This record gives sequence, structure tokens and C-alpha cells, in this order.
Amino acid sequence: MTTTMDRRRLLSTAVLGGAGLVGATALGSLAPEAAFAADARAVEPGAPDPDFAEGRISTISGGTLLVTGSDGVLHSIRVTDGTSVWKLHPTTFDQVAAGDGLYARGVRLPDGTLAADSVWVNIVNLHAHIAGVGRNTLHLDHKGQRIVAHVVPGFSAAVYNSTPAVSDLSLLKVGRHVQVLGAWHPDTNEISVATVYAAV
Amino acid sequence: MIEMVAALQPLLVGVVLIWAARFKLLSRFAAAAARRSALPRLVGESRALPAYRLLGGVELLVGTLLVLPPALAVEGLAATALTAGFLVYLGYARRAAPDASCGCLSARQAPVAGRSVARAAVLVPASLLASSAGTGWHGALTARPAAAGAVLLAELALVVALSPELDHRWLFPLRQGWVTLTHPLRGGSGVPLPRTVQQLQQSAAFRRIGTLIRSDVLDHWDEDEWRMVCYAARYRGRPTTAVFAVPLHDYTPEAVRVALVDDTTGTTLLALAAPEPARA
Repeated sequence: MTTTMDRRRLLSTAVLGGAGLVGATALGSLAPEAAFAADARAVEPGAPDPDFAEGRISTISGGTLLVTGSDGVLHSIRVTDGTSVWKLHPTTFDQVAAGDGLYARGVRLPDGTLAADSVWVNIVNLHAHIAGVGRNTLHLDHKGQRIVAHVVPGFSAAVYNSTPAVSDLSLLKVGRHVQVLGAWHPDTNEISVATVYAAV
Repeated sequence: MIEMVAALQPLLVGVVLIWAARFKLLSRFAAAAARRSALPRLVGESRALPAYRLLGGVELLVGTLLVLPPALAVEGLAATALTAGFLVYLGYARRAAPDASCGCLSARQAPVAGRSVARAAVLVPASLLASSAGTGWHGALTARPAAAGAVLLAELALVVALSPELDHRWLFPLRQGWVTLTHPLRGGSGVPLPRTVQQLQQSAAFRRIGTLIRSDVLDHWDEDEWRMVCYAARYRGRPTTAVFAVPLHDYTPEAVRVALVDDTTGTTLLALAAPEPARA
């Protein structure tokens, strides 16, 4: 905890001033060509991206996730302090559980392990119609299937007509089309809403 | 009292039957409704529509006889046979074709649910009462207009409440009104993280160093008027943290600041307080 606070203080100081500013030119070019010059890796068209993995977590041991892909491929995914973990919101690795689904992006190591930069746990992206509204609950009609979407006060946000996101979801109307980013509750037809996009 | 209620039943049952017949005989959507009902299962695909129309004709006949004087017991008995038949049919439909629509009163798709069955069940005793009516409904209404009107309205309200086909006329607006009043989706207060991330991604600072970022949001916290958002970044092979300071309440992407901090040494590699506007 203390280290987290220390680190946050260090980072705040770095961005809000205090230390002398270092100009970009002191470090050379920031152009994408320069940044990616050493990292460029060609992927065959149509071939699976080696730096991406998806599936359901079968085992968690230490910082390594064993994941069964939807195509049956087994992935070993290593998570470090520098890996971002999303589960409805940015969170920590201890919130990840066996049985969760995930998308991971990172760098494939020579031994086949994926060193993850980012992990999105249970993330879903749905186009649906609002079939009903309850207390902090949206009932969605998704291709004829009913999905219960829970609004989580403090985390759920709405984007109306592509304007900046707000935490007030009360403009959503029954019958309207929405796109919902959320976190699936494994093995149920329920999700928690992260962001809902709607036209009003 | 019971005589008055009995005298009113021919009107109630008659109106419901004529209403049902009007849809079955005149609606453009009758063919579709017949197809979606359980009739194709019962009488065959080709005979479903003729059977549907025939039923409408019978309903119209019985309904008209009930509404028009004189009040005869045989009319009530015919209505009883008809409504009891509906009840049996709905029971069959729920077992044989649970997805089928009732097709009773409109083309609106509404699977046979408890309410449709309850409506049919209410009409059976009403029809039985109608067969025991001594006087016509007109006489009962003129003799005690207030009481008779109240009974009739209550019964009609019950039939409407038990009709899923009519929900869009009264139940849905009522629910919408309730939602407008109570705002069940108001959600939390405060600035959601997606708003900050949107602002950050539209900033000049993000355009300058966005290509170095390797991860999604690692950590975020609020500090006075700023929200700090951290990403893992890689600069010239060095693992770094990109920390953005984003205005918490204002939406001013041009005010976003960024610093790149080396993860191993903790030194600031880069800090952009007010990035130069991109050259055209």
C-alpha cells in the first residue's frame, strides 16, 4: 500500500511539475516510425496474431494463467506488475478467477508464453435493444436472447450521441438500440455495464 | 343485485366477442395472426385461416345476438360454449405450441400466458350468468345507471387488464411514466473513467506519445482538479510508465499533461506540460 502511494506521488510529481521539464527533443524523435523501428513484426495476412490470446481461464498459478482458447488452443499467459487488468474497470490481478473469460494482448516469448501487456477479463461488446428497465437493471434483447445488464453506480457510464461519457444512464429508453461494453458474469446471461452507447 | 349483474353480462361478453370478431374478419393482419396461433397445429396449415375466419363469424353472430334484444337464455348458453371452448383451446395451445400467439384480439405477438387464460376463464362464468339474465342489459342500465355503469366499467377494466394485446395502450405508457418519475437508471455521481479516457485520447499529449503505450489503463486516481491515468509504455526498449494528468471536471483535451517515467530508475524521461499544437 505504502509503495503504491509512494509510486503515485512520484508519478504525480513527474506530470504536474516539480522536477525540471525534459523536452521531447532531448530524447530524440517521438514519431511512430522511430518508436516502432525496433519492434516491427510482420504477421502473415490471415494468420492468427501471435501477440493476442482469448479463452476461458482454467488454472491460475502464480502470475501465470492457463487459458483454453475457443478454438481449443491452450495459452499460457504471464501477468506482471506492468500488465493492465480490466474487469469492468481497471483492477488488480487478484480479482481474476478461474472460469473467467479473457482477451489478452502482449508479446509472445520464445517458449510460447504470452507476456501480457493488457488483459480484459469477461469483456463483452453487444449490440442490443432495450427490452425493459428496472432499478439499476437493463433488460436487453440480443438477437432474440434476453440479457440482464446490471448498472453499477460509480462505474457504469453512458455515451449519448458520441458526446463525452456521463454517469447518468437515465436517458436510455425502452425499445432503443444500444451498444454495451460490459463484463460478463461467467455462465449466466448477466453482465455488468461498463459503457453504454446510445442515440437520444 | 345479482339480477342486475347478470343482466349486464350479455353486453360485456357480446362486446368482447364482437371486438375479437372484428379483428379476425376485417384486419389485414388476420392471416399472419392465424399463422402464428396454435391453429395450424390443430387443424393443419392450409385450414388455419378459414378456421380462424369461421371462428370470427361465429363470434360476431353470438356477440351480436347477445348485445341486441331480446335477452334469451340460449344466447348465453352459446356464449358459454364458445368461451369454454376458448379456455380448452388456450390450454391446448400452451401445451402443444408454447411459442404460438393467442391470436385472440389482435395481431400483436403475445405468447399464451397466464393472463390470456385468466381472461378466458373470467368470460366463462360471465357467459353462464348471461344465460340466467331475466331482463335486457338496457333495462338494467336505465334502472340503476350509476351502479350498473360501475359494474360494467370494472368488468371491462378487468378484461383489458388481462389482455396482453392491449398492454401497449395503457401498461407501457404507465411504465414509461413511472420510469420518467423515478429514474431507476440514474446511476452514480461523479466523473466516470471513460469520460477521462475519452478526453485523454483526444489530447495533443496522447497524439504525441500514444504510439509508445503498450497497455490499457494500469492505474488511476484523483488529485485535486486532476485525474491521473497511468499506462505502461516502452521507450527505446526501456519499460516506462506514461502518466497523464487530465482535468477532472472540465472537458478540455488541450490541457492534458503527460510524463514518461522510467520504471527502473524512477527518473522522468519526458514531461509535456503544454504540448505544441500539431503542425498542419
